[in-house]
Amino acid sequence: MTSSNAVISRASARKLVVATVAGAVLLALSTLFAPDRVWANLLVGSYYLITLGLGGVLFIALTNVCGGGWQAAFRRVPEAMTGVLPVAGVILLATLAMRLGEYGWHHHGEGDVGTFWFKELWLDPKFLAVRAVAYVLLWIAFARALVGRSHRQDTLPPTSNARIHAGMSSVFLAVFAITISLAGADWIMALEPMWFSTMWGVYQFSGLIQATLAVMIVACVLLRRQGALEGVFTDEHLHDLGKLLLGFSCFWMYIWFSQYMLIWYANLPEETSYFISRTHTAWAPVVVGSIVLNWIVPFFVLLPRPCKRSESIMLKVAAVVLVGRWVDLSVMVFPPVVGDLPVFGIPELASIVSMSGLFGLLFAQTFSSAAPVPRNEPFLEESLHYHA
Amino acid sequence: MSNRLLLATFEHEDDLLAATTAVRKKGLHIVDAFTPYAVHGLDRAMGLRQSRLTWVCFICGITGALGMLWFEHWTASVSWPIDVGGKPWNSLPSDVPVAFEAAVLLGGFGSVFALFGVSRLYPGKRAHVIRPRITDDQFVLVIGETDAAFEVSVIERLLRDYNAVETEEQIDEGGRIR
Repeated sequence: MTSSNAVISRASARKLVVATVAGAVLLALSTLFAPDRVWANLLVGSYYLITLGLGGVLFIALTNVCGGGWQAAFRRVPEAMTGVLPVAGVILLATLAMRLGEYGWHHHGEGDVGTFWFKELWLDPKFLAVRAVAYVLLWIAFARALVGRSHRQDTLPPTSNARIHAGMSSVFLAVFAITISLAGADWIMALEPMWFSTMWGVYQFSGLIQATLAVMIVACVLLRRQGALEGVFTDEHLHDLGKLLLGFSCFWMYIWFSQYMLIWYANLPEETSYFISRTHTAWAPVVVGSIVLNWIVPFFVLLPRPCKRSESIMLKVAAVVLVGRWVDLSVMVFPPVVGDLPVFGIPELASIVSMSGLFGLLFAQTFSSAAPVPRNEPFLEESLHYHA
Repeated sequence: MSNRLLLATFEHEDDLLAATTAVRKKGLHIVDAFTPYAVHGLDRAMGLRQSRLTWVCFICGITGALGMLWFEHWTASVSWPIDVGGKPWNSLPSDVPVAFEAAVLLGGFGSVFALFGVSRLYPGKRAHVIRPRITDDQFVLVIGETDAAFEVSVIERLLRDYNAVETEEQIDEGGRIR
């Protein structure tokens, strides 16, 4: 981190390092008394992190494809989010490797349930591992290419190469749609290989984009207060990010309910197993909690226009959504790994502290590696003066 | 005494925006602004108050959702209870999609018809185009007289600083601009 344009002080960086390391040590020690919980936390945490990084790439690619100009002023924020991808990828792959043998269809496919050749092939642990590496490498490659272009533009004469950005971005969007659906199914849905949902891919996407927007809001507001985006990130940007967060919170609820209602209606035993272990156990209040955090709070708070333009309200709503994302992921992962009883204690806290610290560090480091506002950006003027 | 109006014509959006801001800063009364398309930021420059249409939409939406929930409950479990797939008569999940659609429908229609009502738009209404080119490439700002500070020559000089191509004085005949 170069000290010239570092966005956090040495003292805060040290605090983040301490949080990350202390959390990691505590989590490692927790394997002595609760190995399942530690593994579930690692999966939730690393998936949370990697989807935030991926969400950064998605936001850049989406706005490039649309020819968007409004986001140019704070584009370095989603770019900095992609900085977590390599580290989060390593943690995620290591987590998968720890229990790769427990993934797979075979030990479920014996006995009276018969075998199904495609699941046997697809959920083969070795193939699953190869795919996981491929997804992560693809995401990192696209992130580097898109962010690299943006950084290089800072030193180039001011010509628009928006079209080149759009070309690669549209390829990424296609790759993203396929890989996030498959990755979500491979890493989380396969924890219960007997169960399946065709809504799963879009459900993963809805949570990803919602949390990404929330992180962008928090990061932009904090960077404006700190000074790096002062006078650059305007209330208009905040307002539009608020609209997007409101919209995608509704989208998350829409998708969540669509998945729930189809399963509830058809009432087929092989489909209901997912909701039996979540809404007919002690997890039910947690499921309700995730709906309150991810939809009810953002929906009603973000409806009025003044709320979307208020820094403090937006920070709070974004924080609620980020907690909601954690709860949502926990509801996906914990029941099959840990059991029917929701737990919250040292491993969960340690994982949250460690992953948050890690995200903060990687974000700050990546953000500091380039100019806080893009130079030679043809859309910058538009972004600084538009009305939401 | 009848009040006077001053119509100023502009060729560019930016000139209109700047002129509107300047005129309002002088404390003059802005009657209306005519533009070929929605000009971003003009509402703020004119000092228009926040639209109340969002409240109409919200209340209509809530009414649609709650009304439809009640109606579904009444039809499916009170008036003529129906057993669908062994589900309880009053099953909330099956009511949600229709309640959602009713919220969208009522919210949408409510907002559109409230807008029509407030702006007095109805089928067959004759278009009142004050200048033909405001539907094409010109912008017109209408300033109204409220007190003795309305000195036409002074305002005209101010507007010319913002590249007004034409100014015209009119007598206000009950808010109807010619």
